Formats: sequence, C-alpha cells, structure tokens
Amino acid sequence: MKLLNSKTIIYGWLFIAGLSLEAAGQSGSLQALIDKAPPGGRVTVSSGVYSGNIAINKRLSIRGEGWPIIRGDSTTSVVSIQADSCVLEGFIIERSGDNLMHEDAGVFLKGSHSVIRGNQLRDVLFGVYLLEADSNTIEENRITGRRKEDLGQRGSGIHIWNSNYNTFTGNIITEARDGFYIQYAHHTQIERNEVFGLRYGVHYMYADSNAFIRNTFSDNVAGAAIMYSTGITMRHNVFSRNRGFSSFGILFQDCHGMVADSNVISDNVVGMFFEATTDNIFRHNIVAQNDIALQMFQNSTGNVFTENNFIDNISPLSIVGRKTETRWSVNGQGNFWSSYEGYDMNGDGVGDVPMKVQNVFQYLEGRSANLRLYLYSPASQALAAAAKAFPIIEINSEVDGFPLMRPVDLRNMPALRKAKELMRPGETARTGAGAWLAVPLLSATLIGFFCHRITRRGKV
Amino acid sequence: MDFSAIYTIARQELVINIRNKWTVIFAVVFGILVVSISYFGIMVEGFSGMQSFTRTSASLLNLVLYIVPLVALIMGTLAFTGDKGSTELLFSQPVSRHEVLLGKLFGVFFSIVLSTLLGFALAGAIIVAGNGPEGLTSYVFFVALSLALALVFLTLSLLVSTASRRKSKAFGVTLFLWFFFVLLYDLLALGGTLLMKGQSANAFLFVSIFGNPVDMVRVATLIILDNITIFGAAGAAMLRFLGGQTTSIVLLITGLLAWVVVPLFLSARMMRRQDI
Repeated sequence: MKLLNSKTIIYGWLFIAGLSLEAAGQSGSLQALIDKAPPGGRVTVSSGVYSGNIAINKRLSIRGEGWPIIRGDSTTSVVSIQADSCVLEGFIIERSGDNLMHEDAGVFLKGSHSVIRGNQLRDVLFGVYLLEADSNTIEENRITGRRKEDLGQRGSGIHIWNSNYNTFTGNIITEARDGFYIQYAHHTQIERNEVFGLRYGVHYMYADSNAFIRNTFSDNVAGAAIMYSTGITMRHNVFSRNRGFSSFGILFQDCHGMVADSNVISDNVVGMFFEATTDNIFRHNIVAQNDIALQMFQNSTGNVFTENNFIDNISPLSIVGRKTETRWSVNGQGNFWSSYEGYDMNGDGVGDVPMKVQNVFQYLEGRSANLRLYLYSPASQALAAAAKAFPIIEINSEVDGFPLMRPVDLRNMPALRKAKELMRPGETARTGAGAWLAVPLLSATLIGFFCHRITRRGKV
Repeated sequence: MDFSAIYTIARQELVINIRNKWTVIFAVVFGILVVSISYFGIMVEGFSGMQSFTRTSASLLNLVLYIVPLVALIMGTLAFTGDKGSTELLFSQPVSRHEVLLGKLFGVFFSIVLSTLLGFALAGAIIVAGNGPEGLTSYVFFVALSLALALVFLTLSLLVSTASRRKSKAFGVTLFLWFFFVLLYDLLALGGTLLMKGQSANAFLFVSIFGNPVDMVRVATLIILDNITIFGAAGAAMLRFLGGQTTSIVLLITGLLAWVVVPLFLSARMMRRQDI
C-alpha cells in the first residue's frame, strides 16, 4: 500500500513537471503566433498553459480547443484587444493585475464588432472591460471574481464605459463587485445572464434606452441599481433573495420612462425601491414574499402599476413622506393584492371595495421608520383592525380602485419557472415528510404515559 | 432549602393540574391552533416554498404572543390562590414558605410545558416535513423563548396572587395585566414614539422593548428566526443602539431573566411577612 502511494506521488511529480515544461515552451509562442498571423486570419490554439499577457492589435479570430489557459502575469489585463472585428473563444483566462484605476481585466476591449464567446474568466479584477467599444457581443462567458477581496477591492464582472450598441448574452457572473457596471452606455442589450453572490447585479448610471431580458439576479446586495437613466425595458427577469439591512430587488434612482413587464421580484428585503423616479410603467410582474414590496420616496410620482400580482409581502408599500402620486390602476384594471379583503358582487373579477394599499401601521411606519420594530406585534394588528372598523385616522390616498379578485394568470411566465428553481432547498426536501410526523406522535405517547403514571399513584 | 420538598410539592401541583383537566384543555386548544396555522402556512401558500419557514414561524409567534401569557396567567392564578383549606394544610407542613412557593411555581410551569409541547412538536413536524430540517435549531430557540415567556407570566401571576390573595381579585388583576402587556403597552409605546422626535424617539423605542416581556420575546424570536433584516433599517438602528446581534439577544434574554427573578423575589418577600 505504502509502495503504491509513493509510486503515485512520483508519477504525479513527473506529470506536473511535463506540463510545466510544455507551458514554458509555449508561453511566449501564443503572442508570437498572434504577431505572425496575417490581419483577418484565424488562429487555433490547442490545450495547455500559456503564460504572459496577450495583446491583439489587428483583426483576428482566436479559438481555443480543449480549454487552453491564458495565464496573465498579475499585472494589467490578461488579454487586451484594441482592434475591430476580433473573435476570442474557448479560453480559460486568469490572473489579471489588481489596479482598479488601470482597468486590469481578464479581457480588455477597445474596438468595435468583436465577439468574446464561451470563455472562463477567473481570478481577474474586472472580467470584461469595454472602453469606448461599440457593437460588440459578449456571450456565454463565465466570470468569477476574487472572493477573497473585500467588495470594494473587486472590479465589476462586466464593465461598460462609454460604449454603445453592445450585446451581452448568457454570461454567468459571480463574486465580483457589480455584475454589470454600465455608465454612459446607450442601446445595450442584456439577455439571459445569471448574476449572483455580489453587490449590485446591474449597476446602471446614465445609460439610456437599454433592454434587459430574461436575466436572473439572486443573492446580491441589490438585484439591480438603476440610476439616472431613461427609456429602459425590463422583461422576464428574476430578482430574488437579495437580503441584508439595505437590500433591494431593484433600486431605481432618477429613472424615467421605463417599462417593466413580466418580471419576478421575490424574497427580497425590499422588492423595489423608488427615489425621484417618475413616469414608469409596471405591468404583469409578480412581487412576492418580500418584507416590503415597494418602498417609495414621496418624490417618485406618476408611476403606473397595473395587473401585477402582489403576493404575501409583509408590507405592500412603504412611503418615505406622506403620499406619492402613483396610479394603481389603468382602465379599470388594478392589481392583485393577496392582502385584499373585499368582495366582488357583480362577478366581473374586480373587487367592489377599493384596496387601501397601506394599513394604518404601515402609514405610521413611513413617518417614523423605527416603528417597524413593532412588526408582528399584537398592537400593530389591533391598530390596523381598529382603523378598518373606525376609520378615524385619515391615512393617505394610496388606493387601488380596481383591485383584482384573482391573481393575473402568469403561471406560464418563464421568469416564474426560473424563480421557482431558485427557491430554498426545502422545497425539494419533501421526502421523508411522513417520518417527521413520528415526532409529535412519539411526544404525545410519552406525555400521555407520563401523565398516566404520575396521576395513577394518587398519593404524593 | 430542601429540594426534595420542592420536588414533592411541584409533583403534587402537576398532578392537580393534570387531574383538573386544565392542562389537557390548553393542550388541545393550543394544538389545534398551532397545527392549523402551520399547515396553512406551509401547504396552501399561493407562491409556495420561499421563506415559508420564517413566515410560518412568525405566524406561530403571533399566536404564542397572545395565548401563552394568557394560559400562564390563568393557570398561575388558579394554582397560587389555591382553595382555602388546602393552602392552609400545605403551609402547616414542615416546609418553608419559599419551598412551597418554588414547588408550586415549578409544578405549574411544568404542566404548561407539557400542554404546549405537543402543539409545538406537531407544528415543528409539519414545518420540517414541508420545508426541510434546516430551520430546526431556530425553531427550538423559538420554543424555548415561548416557554420563557410562560415563566415570566407565571411569576407575574404569582406576584398578583400573593398580593391580592382572593381568587376573584387576582383574576381581575391578571386579566388586566394580560391586556396591558399584550396590547396597551405597545400602543402607548407607539404613540410615545410618534410624539417624540429624532434620536430621543429612537432611544425611547429601543428601551421600551425592555419594559414588556412580550416585546422582548417577539424581537428576540424574530432576530433568531430571520436575522434582524426583517426589521429593515429599524433593525440596523437597534443593533447599533444595543451593540451587535449577539449582544442584543443576550441583553434580551437577560431582560427576560430579570422579569422572572424580580417578581419572584418580591412575592417571596411579601409571603414571608404575610399572616396566612
């Protein structure tokens, strides 16, 4: 047995030595290969470790076969592309530098019409950095940041600066600072990405007319922080399990003219947060099981909510200030509120009693935030019940005049399927459910036996 | 202090409580309520699965905050203002008054434990069956805190019974106490906070939690069940005020302990001077 072990170790050493020899042999050669190739040429790279940073300055298509590793020398960017119409595909890219000011990235891109596809980036400061780069496609990459660093010391998974008309599809991003950081970037398409375990899933600053569709943002500090942007389209996204003291599914700051349709916002501390955000349309979204579904500053006016499902949120609405001028229904179609207690006499599916979105306790909470400490206290419920029976305290006018009696049928929505996959593991652990019923049975038997025994003696 | 005497008295108290059916009645009522809450919480949720453990436990907490103090006050008052003859007989025995007091307290407490345990076990089984065993430790903490709440209200009823001695009077006072701690106190605190401004309002709010064992149990349970994030910014502010999550829980539990020890001490002192 001992012999075998030592043999294995020896073979192991031989193997590693062979590998590193090969790597040493090829380390400079990838850059040499690139330099040798004619503009517009194709370079195919076989598996192995290629050390040293790579620079591409002409139109080239570089494909890795069998996951060749490009190992940077821990300074600046591992792969810098400063040319148009390049393709980079099928590599493992690792070890960038660590200077946030110098855009040290796995792939640094400054050019147009390039494709970065199917790479794995790990141990990089920024994943893919787009600087003044238009009309590129970044797809099917897996980007893993530096988990050991503090959030503030990490870079973004995909950083987009002053770049327009780019497309990002099917990337998986985790352990970075922000999943996507987008500043001064208009007409960006973000589709089918999965972003989890970092600070902001998407961080938009001054980026107009962008679309994000079918993305999943889970277990972040905030699913998306969308700031100072207009004309954004959000459809079929999932914002889930973003939990912490100041966590949000989506944070909107100074956003206007946005359309949010068919998204699932579930299990966040605050589902959606609005500050100075006006004139947006929310339709067919599921907002479920958040501690607070919507939190709005008084200066967020003119937002429209229609045919959304608000299900099992502890508080449906929290207003910082007194009232917002939000429209809770359009053309006689309001929203479904699981806390609605009215009735529908004429059977048209719309409740006859207007839905007061806030109860009196939630209203008071808006005036003094720390009152939330009385959440779940009998007094807060008694207060709400009393205010309903004797409406003496005039609370604000946040009223859905046409609350729906049944949830809008969104069962076939793709985002819902995705959200259910994300549910806590408990859902799958239903096996052995019966076995747990033995616990109360057993305790009942024991208690019964004990009572019988102690009382039967009759004397003390 | 003679522990065998305490044990004997406690056992006698337990036997009385089992025989007079209060324990059984509370067990059945509590069990039905708890099971229906946990069943509907877990199984019939429209958007099922997410967070159901916390939500269900929180609804259970709601029930516990109403029922447990009431049960403890009623059973306590019944026990501590015993029938005239039997109390006199007990005190004429060669045991000290403290031993009688402690024995009775333990006896009643144990019968409350018995009557709630079945309900808690059933609810726990339903939650675990529907949601997996991951939240089990928090649930055990929750049960322990509920029982601590029962103990607090038992000692309160002991104090009231010792002070008033007449059963009817004691009942009146304890019912008022229930109403006060479950409802009135929080309303007063809410109102007070709204009247004050800024930092003093915060301080008032956080300190006021310690004036009411029901609030202490509620806050401690929510911290344990769901982390304190459920309170949002208010939770963060409270943690900063009290100094960290562990510290807050320790403070809350210490506070509960004080709420047990002080009434117990007062009633022991009162009883020593009484002419029975």
